[in-house]
Amino acid sequence: MTEVFWFSEQPYGHVTEDDIEGYESGRMHFPNTMFDPIKAHELYSNYHDQYALADQVGFDGIMSNEHHSSYWCMKPSVNIDAACIAKVTKNVKIAMLGNVIAVQDPVKMAEEIAMLDCISGGRIISGFVRGTAVETLHAGISPTENRARFEEAHDLIVKCWTTPGPFRWEGRYWPHRMVNPWVVPIQRDPHPQVWFPGTGSPESVIWAAERQYPYMNLGSLLDLTKQLKDIYFETANKIGYTPGPEHFGYLMKVFVADTEEKAQEVGRKYLWTEAHRNRGPAEFNDPPGYQSREALKIKMSRPVIGTGTMGKRMSYEELQNAYNIVVGTPETVIEKLRHIKKELDPGYILIYGNEGDMAHNDVMRSIELIGEKVIPAVKNF
Amino acid sequence: MVSSTASRKEITVLGTTVEYFVGGTGDTSLLFLHGAGGNSGWQKYHEELSKEYTVYVPSQAGFNGTERPDWIYTITDMAHFNLQLVNALGLSDYILMGSSMGGWISSEMASMDDSSIQSLILIDAAGIKPEKGEISEIFMCSAQTRLEQRFYNPSQVENYEAYTRELTQDEVFTEHSNREMASRLCWRPYLHNWSLPFYLKKITTPTLIIWGENDAIIPVECGSLFQASIADSTLEIISNCGHSPAIEKPNEFMAVVNKFLSN
Repeated sequence: MTEVFWFSEQPYGHVTEDDIEGYESGRMHFPNTMFDPIKAHELYSNYHDQYALADQVGFDGIMSNEHHSSYWCMKPSVNIDAACIAKVTKNVKIAMLGNVIAVQDPVKMAEEIAMLDCISGGRIISGFVRGTAVETLHAGISPTENRARFEEAHDLIVKCWTTPGPFRWEGRYWPHRMVNPWVVPIQRDPHPQVWFPGTGSPESVIWAAERQYPYMNLGSLLDLTKQLKDIYFETANKIGYTPGPEHFGYLMKVFVADTEEKAQEVGRKYLWTEAHRNRGPAEFNDPPGYQSREALKIKMSRPVIGTGTMGKRMSYEELQNAYNIVVGTPETVIEKLRHIKKELDPGYILIYGNEGDMAHNDVMRSIELIGEKVIPAVKNF
Repeated sequence: MVSSTASRKEITVLGTTVEYFVGGTGDTSLLFLHGAGGNSGWQKYHEELSKEYTVYVPSQAGFNGTERPDWIYTITDMAHFNLQLVNALGLSDYILMGSSMGGWISSEMASMDDSSIQSLILIDAAGIKPEKGEISEIFMCSAQTRLEQRFYNPSQVENYEAYTRELTQDEVFTEHSNREMASRLCWRPYLHNWSLPFYLKKITTPTLIIWGENDAIIPVECGSLFQASIADSTLEIISNCGHSPAIEKPNEFMAVVNKFLSN
């Protein structure tokens, strides 16, 4: 049965196009003097209220993430957000998608995620991500090391969860002679589930499939997503297992209102500062050595709105026609999700439910309507 | 560019194929090490130097699309590799000249073993952290910014259009691999080695340090810091000149080199 997850980037919605226009890039150069901590306090409170409501109205899970040097995502630590989710909800799974493990101390990551699993009563899904290149640049790490560091960090975290301590780890990047984390996860069969997200990289899909980790596609167009899903299934078949919907999830922007007019009006905010978010020289978004050339070609076919330098530009209407943005009344949205289910058959529908300065009340109403009408319908697809 | 006087060759070092250009027939050999931008091939100043010396211009392992030994993570690793290259080429009593990142590699090689190095020439060399200024960003910036930083006055650069024209597919690949390799070697600590000023104390080879006075990438104060660490060294500062004196001020460059080597 399809599971439905809530997701919010937790944007700092006070930023306008005019604010960013003059800067060389939307992330590294856009100065943090534009950030007001008092306004952020209010926004964080709203986002946590949205989490609590999503739990109450029947979402199966809440997904979270982290980014650095980004006005559109105020979460520099997915673990801190997961701790908040754990305390404001009772039932939902908590999918962290995820920790940027290439630039973190893996032993501390293993400890923190285990702690979250204990606090939440075993509700953690632990996603691991390579992050955008900016995450690596922000951490002061060479982008050429990202993949090798990711691999080592992953192996060390899993070992922390599955091998009794103390043990020795003589890795290239994190050599430890004594590893013995006191806190271990509740989920021990064999450890909290690991998810792996991606956009256009076939390398990511293959990596996930080889480990039987569910692959979450983060909003690529349907035809590209199908290709990537095929790669997952081919890889799985090669190594000898038959994947199902439980191995595949799809993130899309979904906003629901009582009327079409209202939904269309608010949904337009999904285009908030879109042209500026990852604007900047290729040296920020795709520095040499960060990804393979094959992956770069696929990346070029992702939807980019506005004046982005990579990919094609698409309007609000085109994005709706492509099922990338799904807005409307519950009835309209249910039909569109039915189409996506038929096309991709995801086991997890990840709802990117707010953006920019969408009013808190509008988002809360959307959550209510999704819980009351959309989720029951999705369960019967 | 390879002139009629130079040829491209290959040699195997520790199982890795290294490409190099060689020209000139002088009794004394001169090994030139390129900077983080990669090997631009046989240049006019190589041609000038080859009138007197046999000049070797290798692509540093991993640059220009060549094979990258997977154990080379640092400039120190590269210096060890290059000493093996020197052996493989059979160089002795040779002149070692390096520009920018190549100057850093040269200075580490000389620190390890300068017994067969007759003279050392460092040109706007990376490797030492400035005390007052800072080394400008060359990775997290656009190609246009990198170019603007490189030359003090583009009108002094012969054939400047060659630096601004659109690259061919092959050149794009080469540039990509060069920047990838430079990122591996120089990202952190950024274009310097904390220990280098102390390594340099070991060098007894006569050393010429050349710096463009207006270098916008590695500040000229670094020239003084190299001079302070290398016992038998001379600093020559070329005025109205940026990071690449051999290209931006070729006559002044050759004059200081010839003066030094003739002594």
